[in-house]
Amino acid sequence: MLAEPSYNWSEIRKGLDMLMLFVILVLFILGLVSIYSAGAGVRKSTAAYAVRQLAWGGVSIVAYAAVIRMGYQNFLKWSYSIYVITIGVLVVLLALGTASRGAQSWFRFGAVSFQPAELGKVALILFLARFCTRYQPDNLKRFVAALVMSGLSVAMILLQPDLGSALVYGLIIFVVLTVAGTPVKYLGGLIVCGLVAMPFLWNTLKEYQKLRLYVFLDPYIDPQGAGYNVIQSRIAVGSGGLWGKGFLHGTQGRLHFLPEPHTDFIFSVYAEEFGFVGALVVIILFAFLFWRLLRAAFRTKDPRAKLLCVGVSAWVWFQVMESIAMSMGLAPITGLPMPLFSYGGSSLLMEFIGLALAQSVAISPVRDKFADIT
Amino acid sequence: MYNGLERLDIDKRLLYVRNIFIFSLSFLVVGLVYFQLVKADEYVELASGNRLRMIRLLPPRGNIYDSGGVPLAVNVRIFDIKGYPMDISGEDDYSRVASLFVRHGIPMTPDSLRESVEKQYVAPYSAVSVATNLTLAQVSDLVMDSEFSRILFPSPVWRRIYPGGALMAHVIGYVGEITRDELENQRDLYYQGGDIIGKIGIEAMYEEELRGVVGDEVVEVDSRGRRLRDVNYNDPQKGNDIKLTLDLAAQREASRLMDDRRGAIVAMDVNDGAIKAFFSSPTYDPNPLTWGISSKEWSALVSDEDKPMMNRVMGGSYPPGSTFKVVTASAILMEKVADTNSTVFCPGSFQLGPQRFRCWKRTGHGTETLFGAIRDSCDVYFYQMSIKLGIDKLIKWARVLGVGEKTGIDLPGESRGNIAGREWKRSRVKESWYQGDTVNYSIGQGFLLMTPLQLARTYAAFANGGKLIVPRLNSEKKPEWAEVKISKPHMDTIRGGIRAVVDVGTGRVAGRYGVQIAGKTGTSQNPHGEDHAWFVGYAPADKPRYVAAALIEGGGSGSSVAGPLVAQMLAYLLEHEN
Repeated sequence: MLAEPSYNWSEIRKGLDMLMLFVILVLFILGLVSIYSAGAGVRKSTAAYAVRQLAWGGVSIVAYAAVIRMGYQNFLKWSYSIYVITIGVLVVLLALGTASRGAQSWFRFGAVSFQPAELGKVALILFLARFCTRYQPDNLKRFVAALVMSGLSVAMILLQPDLGSALVYGLIIFVVLTVAGTPVKYLGGLIVCGLVAMPFLWNTLKEYQKLRLYVFLDPYIDPQGAGYNVIQSRIAVGSGGLWGKGFLHGTQGRLHFLPEPHTDFIFSVYAEEFGFVGALVVIILFAFLFWRLLRAAFRTKDPRAKLLCVGVSAWVWFQVMESIAMSMGLAPITGLPMPLFSYGGSSLLMEFIGLALAQSVAISPVRDKFADIT
Repeated sequence: MYNGLERLDIDKRLLYVRNIFIFSLSFLVVGLVYFQLVKADEYVELASGNRLRMIRLLPPRGNIYDSGGVPLAVNVRIFDIKGYPMDISGEDDYSRVASLFVRHGIPMTPDSLRESVEKQYVAPYSAVSVATNLTLAQVSDLVMDSEFSRILFPSPVWRRIYPGGALMAHVIGYVGEITRDELENQRDLYYQGGDIIGKIGIEAMYEEELRGVVGDEVVEVDSRGRRLRDVNYNDPQKGNDIKLTLDLAAQREASRLMDDRRGAIVAMDVNDGAIKAFFSSPTYDPNPLTWGISSKEWSALVSDEDKPMMNRVMGGSYPPGSTFKVVTASAILMEKVADTNSTVFCPGSFQLGPQRFRCWKRTGHGTETLFGAIRDSCDVYFYQMSIKLGIDKLIKWARVLGVGEKTGIDLPGESRGNIAGREWKRSRVKESWYQGDTVNYSIGQGFLLMTPLQLARTYAAFANGGKLIVPRLNSEKKPEWAEVKISKPHMDTIRGGIRAVVDVGTGRVAGRYGVQIAGKTGTSQNPHGEDHAWFVGYAPADKPRYVAAALIEGGGSGSSVAGPLVAQMLAYLLEHEN
């Protein structure tokens, strides 16, 4: 069974970071509202997306509670196995993808599909938190070891190919390694390597991916094609104004001007209907979330837990930044979901699990105090 | 492990992370201030004025003509009915539109309509086709309906037709709707869903020349989708025409000669590689494929036992049989294994260890020189010489003469045949190379495979004095060739041999059609049934103009079946030269 004793409910109640949980739930509900609004315009039956998301939300909250009850220490104990299994799943996925001669990033079980790239984010963070504490990357050998071991998952994701997720993985690795105490000169070296590799990576991009980057620089070079999304999304956000057009009154989303309104461009739908004030509320909520995540990292004495919280923060932060900046045309389109907001079961579930691990870190000092007394 | 000091180190770096978070979130707020407060009015205007509609205007493809200017692929004007997804993609809209069409005698269901609209969807204001292939009469009936003009509009489009039909199918190929795969892997982002693209044949080979330049029309519409004014108009530009080297009448002659047998005929100008006839039998009509056929009809076509979709001229590989002897003869002479005076006694068979290889003539040819061995197609001569020659040298000269490599004809999907040697056999059959294999190769059997086009090209090299020419169908394409380094006296010996084949040897039937032919018969063993019949030859024998190769699958003896085909094909070409 569990290698470490699990938390009982009274411990959890005592240590629970209520603000963190509250912020997460509010963000999820705002996302649900936006998904409903986006669905109101999409051709299929209106509430289907929102209902499915709500169901996934229920599953996610159960998972959230279960993770907290087991405690992050147990997950860290299993982290190597989890990581190896995840890599195995990604390999199987690649093999299936090769067999069907197309990009494959999903497993489908009847009506439910699952994206292992999302699972991989949590697995990677757990792995790094344990590995970088055991072998602090303060010399070149350990730094390269950590880089190679974690790079394995990035390679699998790149082969799918899922460029957006690979970026998230890369950022998580970079931030965790940085905080774990990698000397600045190695980090600098890593950045230089990245810059040198840039032209080679460019050549591996497909034409449509290159076009996404071109239209990021100037959407009007292809206003009917790839630039269309950027222009329409910017119109959606901009026309929201101070107060927004009101719930279910956004024209950009409702008239299908926005592509993928319930996933990639969910923030555009929200910002159009709830305006600057609504958008600001979301940013403040995320700011609170980051505050609580980092607070948990500062307060815990367990260095593994610190790295765990940092990894989760970096993941959520990057996808929030990308989604909101993209909606204004300030970042290229990558197709990454906005955490807690975008429609999508596997991403929502894994976000809740990641945040539950951080919540568990926030709870853990309760037990330390208790231990001090006895 | 970490100690307290190092924990403080982590916390120090955590502070940097916190600062980056604060800074980046502030950046987002600044962006929102700019777009939602400073520029809000501008974007509100743009959102309410989202009344622009874009229509892609597809150009007509370039025409394809035969050498005499007869059209082989042209376009006809017909009509598609288009609409904008934002106007027609509601659940009620689908059934309303479908019933509108049904009212005017055009079959449509809400489900089929939804499927087609969703497949073509790019943007709400980018028009999609609702119905295709309508005539002017149908369209004029439709536009009278008051409901029609509110949401739909007719759009004239070009459809491809192939007047040559089945006769030219393996050359021209056909066009069809672009697939998802093709869309994702396109190099220059020219295409959109629903576009037409060359799938095979000349249509695919010269896609970029034929397709032309897409035009577009941007119009402003009112809230009900009616056209208010034209904002922008770019004419589509017709693709370039292509004139083939091929002659429709010669092709018809090839088809007549082939009758309904399975096989292939190809004829080519020996000097510049211009293909004159290129017929694979049986064939298929490309017109229905272009206009769209049901998956049932399609699977019937591809699963047909006679394989009408298979291009036997360049995609079918067969053992070349005795036609290959000119290659073996070249190697024998060039490697100085024998000269023109060396003789071999043919008793009717050849003993190699425990194995006995028969000559086609059981009673034997007696004493044969190389010249006589070609004329009489004496197998024993080549068996014996090939043992002295060895497989590596034979393969070397076969490659020089184009065996085992693509001819480079301007059509996609060519087969390279097979001239595999030792390594291939070891890795594929898991056996080492035996002398018996070499003996088989010497008369064009064994693992050896060639396409009719390759064989025609090899013979053309003898006909034109040593140019291994690249066959071409596009008359604009420059002739290209590689020099075959076979010395002139040797070449003359072989040419004399294959001339004698027709004059007095095994191919005499080919000499009865009024033209001086030099050529070679071949009968190749077919593991699946009756032997394949070959004949390859060129004419006139002393000053060659054309080469032709014919293959009849399961045709039996090459001399009696395939010989007359080549002879008549060559006679036709010479007769109609001007």
